[in-house]
Amino acid sequence: MALSDNTKDRKLIGRRTVLKRAAGAGAFALAAPYVITARAQETLIVNTQGGEYQELVERVVIRPFEKKFGVKVIHDATGTASQDYAKIRAARGAPGFDVAGLLTPPEVILGVKEGLLEKLSEREVPNLRHLWDKTWSVIPGGSGAPHTLQYAAMVYNKDKLERPRSWADYWEPHKKYGDKVKGHIINYNPANLLSVYALIHAAQLGNGGVDNMEPAWARLTAQKPYVGVVVTGSAEAVPHFENGQVWISPYWSGRSGYYISRGLPFEMLIPQEGVIGLFDVACVPTGAKNKKLAYEFLNYRLDKDVQREWALAYFTSPTRADITDLPKEFTASQIVTKEQMAKTQFPDSDVIGANRRDWTLKWQEIMA
Amino acid sequence: MAVLLVFFALPNALLLSTSFLKSEAQQLTSELTLENYGFLFSRSLYIGAFIRTFAVGVAVGLLDVLLGYPLAYFLVRTRSRFKGLLIALALAPLLASVVVRTYGWYIILNRFGVANDLLLGLGLIEERIAFMPSTAAIVVGLAHALLPYTVLTIMGSLNGINPNLELAAMSLGASRTRTFFSVVLPLSLPGIAGGFILTFSIAISAYATPAILGGPATQMMATAIYGFMTQLLDWSIGAALAMILIICSLLLLYAAARFGARQAAL
Repeated sequence: MALSDNTKDRKLIGRRTVLKRAAGAGAFALAAPYVITARAQETLIVNTQGGEYQELVERVVIRPFEKKFGVKVIHDATGTASQDYAKIRAARGAPGFDVAGLLTPPEVILGVKEGLLEKLSEREVPNLRHLWDKTWSVIPGGSGAPHTLQYAAMVYNKDKLERPRSWADYWEPHKKYGDKVKGHIINYNPANLLSVYALIHAAQLGNGGVDNMEPAWARLTAQKPYVGVVVTGSAEAVPHFENGQVWISPYWSGRSGYYISRGLPFEMLIPQEGVIGLFDVACVPTGAKNKKLAYEFLNYRLDKDVQREWALAYFTSPTRADITDLPKEFTASQIVTKEQMAKTQFPDSDVIGANRRDWTLKWQEIMA
Repeated sequence: MAVLLVFFALPNALLLSTSFLKSEAQQLTSELTLENYGFLFSRSLYIGAFIRTFAVGVAVGLLDVLLGYPLAYFLVRTRSRFKGLLIALALAPLLASVVVRTYGWYIILNRFGVANDLLLGLGLIEERIAFMPSTAAIVVGLAHALLPYTVLTIMGSLNGINPNLELAAMSLGASRTRTFFSVVLPLSLPGIAGGFILTFSIAISAYATPAILGGPATQMMATAIYGFMTQLLDWSIGAALAMILIICSLLLLYAAARFGARQAAL
């Protein structure tokens, strides 16, 4: 009975009306972002910051996103950028999380080459249009949503050392500080991009660079007798800063700001040779289960208000070029103006990826 | 058999095939090559890691047998009414994660750790000593973490010895010491061998302890494999290194099993 009623109703609508409505619906679906369909899907698994940043990312990004879209986010707080990419590769694009929230340019470039990350456009993530133009020279166009911009700064213990000025003060510490720095220098395994960037600065001090790392190895060899601590992860360095063993180090600007604001007797500075910038990028693996909501999450991370709040909370720079109302004392150590962006180096991550194994081997041979 | 095929043979076959694939700029290609093995055997760094891995395995195995045997003997022979509690205490370290136990050693052994504070306080040293990162620290950490396995294995063997054999030896005039060395020790050899093999096998594949208590100069195979697989994303070299570890371990375990079988037959 019900079936016949429906059939009857359909007969009342003319063929032209049906075509018009279908065309209208199609046009709307093409034009609209995924927000409407995303509401119907309830759970999103996001792999992003953990540890001391877990509370921060949940408070500033995840909980407000859940509230706005009426969905549930499962926060996977495990792994580093390369570990997360290893999971994506091992699972052939279906690692169990919908958003790889914390990849760095070398993994993003590799992900694009291996076809394991979804290609994005402004249709899926409309806020991509607000990013710095330079973004797409660092990672392939539409390969992800860079949501955080920071750099490898230099930090030093104010109670132990006078202010350094150059990367040479870290790489050849005895020249400025003498033997008192013996055992108080930290070095990082090149598995950490921080180490790679610091080595690039070492190479540049000897007129080298990513294409010629020989000057870096000479400086690493000279620095070795002064090194007291060697770690891989950035977070592993913190206890050594706190217990007074490490006095000078390259360190991510975001983490530096965070720990200094909590009482670490260190100061962060930009050496006279400049710094190398790093984008944290959120990507969608090709095998993600809830892609539409994942795109919504990426778009939300690039929302102007979220970007502003995240930058202030995480001591990093927004990746949008149109956030101009941040406090002056904050922007002095950030990358928020065209001039600051122009001064920041972004070495070719493709070259870094291709050479990282050999650089790591060389580093291991010298440090062994 | 099917379970063994799916969860052991198949993954290892995949690993073996990957170890013969060429990798270019972190990407696996379909080109077959022996370069990965050539790369590892031509670098003193990895030959050193290989030798260190097996040396650490032997050292941990021996240390645990030396420490575990008296403890196991005591736990088996004690008539204390707290015997159950004592056994539980001996095995209690297994209740904590190996990472937690290793960080305990980190707190003791680091330059600003308890050991240095104690030695400085007693005036035995003038400058702090770098006990770690070092191979010795890895051996100590692993020996502590794996001791309960040796104790359990040797206890099983000692429990299986008929007490009447010892009484018979002593009734024939043998001293306690001679009875131990002539009767108990030979009969408990399978337990000793089992305990050694178990700790050796776990030690050579250990990751957490060498990663925490070691450094770039004390790299072991598991830490190197982890580095290639998840940090450098170079799966070809990582797979080749893993295959070397697996094949050498299987060969050594096979030799140990043959030796054990021969001893049992005697």
